[in-house]
Amino acid sequence: MNEIKTDILIIGSGAAGLTAGVYAAQLHKKVLVIDKGAVGKSGSTVGAVQMAGLGEWSNPLDDERAYMRDIENSGRGLSDPALAKTLVNDISKRIEDLTSWGLKLDRDKSDQAAVYPTAGHSLPRSISARKGKTGLGILQTLIRKAKTLSENLHTWSDVITLDLVKSSTRVIGAVVFDLKKNKPYVIKAKAVILATGGIGQLYPTTSNPVQSTGDGYSLGLGAGASLIDMEQVQFYPVSLVTPRSVAGLCISFYHYSNLYNTFGERFMETYEPETLENTTRDKLSIAIASEVVAGRGSDHGGVWLDISSQLEKVKKEFLHEFNICMDRGIDLTHGYAEVGPAAHFMMGGVHIDVNTASSVPGLYVAGETAGGLHGGNRLGNNALTECLVFGAKAGINAAWESNNYEDQSTVTAEALSPFATKLLDTMSRSVSGSVKSYQIKQRIQEILGTHVAVLRTDEGLKQAAKQLEAVDDLLDQVEMSTEVNYSRELIDYVEGAHMLRTAKAIVGAALHRKESRGAHFNSDHPSPASNIYHTFVTKENEQVVIHTSPKGEK
Amino acid sequence: MNKLAVKMERQARGVHHFNIEHRDDMTVLDVLEEIYRNHDASVAYRFSCRIGLCATCMMMINGKPGLSCMKRAEPGCDGTMSLAPFLKGNTIRDLVKEV
Ligand SMILES: Cc1cc2nc3c(=O)[nH]c(=O)nc-3n(C[C@H](O)[C@H](O)[C@H](O)COP(=O)(O)OP(=O)(O)OC[C@H]3O[C@@H](n4cnc5c(N)ncnc54)[C@H](O)[C@@H]3O)c2cc1C
Ligand code: FES
Repeated sequence: MNEIKTDILIIGSGAAGLTAGVYAAQLHKKVLVIDKGAVGKSGSTVGAVQMAGLGEWSNPLDDERAYMRDIENSGRGLSDPALAKTLVNDISKRIEDLTSWGLKLDRDKSDQAAVYPTAGHSLPRSISARKGKTGLGILQTLIRKAKTLSENLHTWSDVITLDLVKSSTRVIGAVVFDLKKNKPYVIKAKAVILATGGIGQLYPTTSNPVQSTGDGYSLGLGAGASLIDMEQVQFYPVSLVTPRSVAGLCISFYHYSNLYNTFGERFMETYEPETLENTTRDKLSIAIASEVVAGRGSDHGGVWLDISSQLEKVKKEFLHEFNICMDRGIDLTHGYAEVGPAAHFMMGGVHIDVNTASSVPGLYVAGETAGGLHGGNRLGNNALTECLVFGAKAGINAAWESNNYEDQSTVTAEALSPFATKLLDTMSRSVSGSVKSYQIKQRIQEILGTHVAVLRTDEGLKQAAKQLEAVDDLLDQVEMSTEVNYSRELIDYVEGAHMLRTAKAIVGAALHRKESRGAHFNSDHPSPASNIYHTFVTKENEQVVIHTSPKGEK
Repeated sequence: MNKLAVKMERQARGVHHFNIEHRDDMTVLDVLEEIYRNHDASVAYRFSCRIGLCATCMMMINGKPGLSCMKRAEPGCDGTMSLAPFLKGNTIRDLVKEV
């Protein structure tokens, strides 16, 4: 197989991956950033609206301790204090770097950086750029900076990662497939950084882009890394449920809204009398899902959002979302929007230390693919913050590690994992079978949507585990033509395989959390347990293995 | 249900015609998904965010550049919706541009 060499391989070009790339290239390492989509235009980062942080613009009452306290409160006991501390300590420097590379923060009337309040943050600490297209603004800034480092930093679009490659205990690269040329490659690297984003596409309704198929968790598992608290899937509580073309669109201005059930009751008065709709995402999602299950939901399985009293604010701060609603026939000025929870963010992920090192030598993980910082509930606007702080850590630490590692060997076919070998085998020839590759993804979405969404039960989770086992057979019955390049069938096939490994990890972890905590609500165990523990998923002989450990232990 | 006639420019493979089930709220991207799933699994098109931010789904729609995820699917003057790759840059295949 064709082999490519680099010092540092970064998989994923969202905010986490590109940040890592820039910091590593600044340390004069040869960096290759790959993406299965268009570099810098494909992940969740593109859609992000605001970013929380600290800086000279901060509220005078705000500081690292207040920020850290909010993260820990919101994490429901599961947030890793060492990661939270790193986040609050580093973020102001990271934002300064970005602004020095050209990112312009949005301004308020008095020409100061505009700072917004966000649910769950005790003080206003969210900022934005490019009039609320903050994620896009950050990506463009990072791409511009990357171009100034082009001697060391290279990017490669349309190349999908099949599995990581190991030599005994160490990750030494990845086997990838170039969709343009229809050809596999081995990329050898002294250190690999996983920054592949989240899992929204494992569910039927999601805010996430099409690429968020959980590949990174599957890749981490495949390499022997351990995943922490994978049952903690954040649902964005207020997302459009209809029409289909925009189902899953986040309504970022729900804290300004009133929500009603189908009987016209403002039900949050019962669930959260003090904060009402302006509460954290876990609580609001559980409240909405409970209304729907109790038969008080709308026809499409949602509730009703009324924003008419705050239209001016919404148009000013969230114009893009407002316009999309109006364009698709949802008249927010007079009518109601039908809204409900949509899969949004994975709080669990590959277990890392403060330097973003996983338990496998040579493998670093940053951004949404890493787990542990947010615990049981991520605060709004803390995801971009995480990408900047830990993306930089990953780039710098991978660069240091690559100083100490030298390997001249080539990767033989035997060194590839059984998972990679099987994918490559199917992808090397056209196969006839009874299932299309997109149907495999659809089946996984159905299973998780039915049994592993906001409200879970023991029986439902067991069903999901059983049904996912049957999806293994579907992968073997796939029908695919591999004659054309840039084949959507092929992308769906690889993504389906990753989705399945990741889905099994989520369900296994959910089965092992016999309590309700954060985003994990199990109606058979509706209260939190008195002791705090984490779930961990690893892989042995192609099977996922799960255990729990008290907080603070592994 | 109504039908929508679609014609797609596919470079060397010529112009292909499809006749698809059409719902009123369909975007051009929804139409492409429908073609991929139920008519021709080999069609190539690019998209990501579905909400008009990434611009990777840009193509020529009824002769004008547009984002396929934002544009409502409707026939052009000749009664057929025409799709072609965006004019600038190299085309990888069908509607997919090199980035
Ligand atoms: C609609 C929306 C709005 C949001 N709003 C906010 C907000 O306002 N504030 C906030 O802080 N957070 C927000 N979030 C969350 C935040 O955007 C994400 O958590 C964060 O951007 C993730 O960044 P990342 O770099 O980890 O991954 P991503 O930006 O998702 O990038 C991952 C990249 O990896 C690539 N990739 C994946 N698998 C493979 C593979 N196998 N091979 C090669 N490449 C691969 C993907 O194509 C993608 O480009 C929002 C999310 C969404 C979806
Ligand atoms: S898919 Fe992103 S703009 Fe259309």
